[in-house]
Amino acid sequence: MSNQVQNKKGLTVKDLIIMGVFAALLTVCSMIGGVFFAITPTLTFYFSIGAALLPGPVFLLLLAKVPKRWALTIIGAIVAVLSLVLGMHWAMCLGGLIGAALADVIAGTKKYRSKKMNILAYIVYSFGPTGTYFAYFINPQAWASTMLENGTTQDYITAMDSAANWRVLAVMIVGTILVAWISGFVGSKLLKKQFEKAGITA
Amino acid sequence: MTPPTQKTKQFIHFDPRTKIILLILSMIIATTVPSLLFECVLIMFIAIFGLLCKKIRYSLIGTTVFMALYLFTVFYLQNSTGTMHTMFTAWLSLVFKVYPCGMLAGIAVSTTRVNEFLSAMSKAHIPKKIVIPFAVMMRYIPTIREDWHYIKDAMRLRDVSPSLKGFIKNPGMTIECVYVPLLMAASKAADELSIAAVTRGIENIRPRTCLVQIHFRIRDILVISCFLTLLIVGLFL
Repeated sequence: MSNQVQNKKGLTVKDLIIMGVFAALLTVCSMIGGVFFAITPTLTFYFSIGAALLPGPVFLLLLAKVPKRWALTIIGAIVAVLSLVLGMHWAMCLGGLIGAALADVIAGTKKYRSKKMNILAYIVYSFGPTGTYFAYFINPQAWASTMLENGTTQDYITAMDSAANWRVLAVMIVGTILVAWISGFVGSKLLKKQFEKAGITA
Repeated sequence: MTPPTQKTKQFIHFDPRTKIILLILSMIIATTVPSLLFECVLIMFIAIFGLLCKKIRYSLIGTTVFMALYLFTVFYLQNSTGTMHTMFTAWLSLVFKVYPCGMLAGIAVSTTRVNEFLSAMSKAHIPKKIVIPFAVMMRYIPTIREDWHYIKDAMRLRDVSPSLKGFIKNPGMTIECVYVPLLMAASKAADELSIAAVTRGIENIRPRTCLVQIHFRIRDILVISCFLTLLIVGLFL
């Protein structure tokens, strides 16, 4: 079974459908994890930490099932379009796309087979939603103006300003790496214990 | 603004491309919206669109929830201060930004069948590699919720608590009990879907045909022009 799938070059229809199902799971998992952080002004910087908590096993099983180039990039593009339609900040969508493309490249260096590289790819992927906050730290004034245009009020920006400094950025980065690593680690354990035995990895 | 002739018809079928254009338009309107009152007009438009698509209950509930939020904002938040005020403003402003698109997206997704969506996308010359995962994803998100309820029931049956308390008491067990069925169900569903899709000839390289003919009609143009007017009015207000 596994040889047969590997021999085919490019993405088959089966791969595309698997990608669709897993993209849905990834989105729902990161929404559940991140929603409490996203709506609270003082915690909004830690959104990526919450979002990184749940999707790890899903991500690793996806890579095990579709070990091919472009799979992650396409998923990133789809999720970015979806969140743009739902009214998210553009930098978050762009960050998600870049994160997914980078993760694709990183996991691709070991042909999507190395556990360590896949976990590293997941950590990079988790940095996608931080795009908004990096945009903020690079240029706070411009960032505030786009958010204000988008309907976020001045109060929110002020509350964010008082919460945001370099320590927060450090916590955000370290926390995301740590949480994503834990999630990826649990995922790889689950993969080994359950899914490889069940034979659902390609 | 919507012509009254459209309301008299019971069920009106819109082109999927119209729905996508409407989504994009309402996204732009929601981001450039000058006032909350104007957003009410947008919600009204979306509700009328939902009524035209025969989603009566959904549109009514959506409008009522929005009106409740709006009235709460107007009457409560205008004359309160403090931390609670900031928290609520932050939360509400995010809600107001996302709500119209979410409501319209709900209508669009629930009234579009997958085959229509696929043929509309292939008419718009969007590559299959993007369209197929997207269509599957839109269909699978409601299924996840269903699966989750079954998993919760099954966990209770086997004395594994699906709550936070159970997670703290017995983390390894709970994680396994949530993820394994969820991912198993997902990969089974993906396999079945792909078999079904391949037997129906999705891999055929010839251009796609569809029994349901999809083309822009006068009603599509009317609806799009209504939303476009709204957008232009909003930009100049």
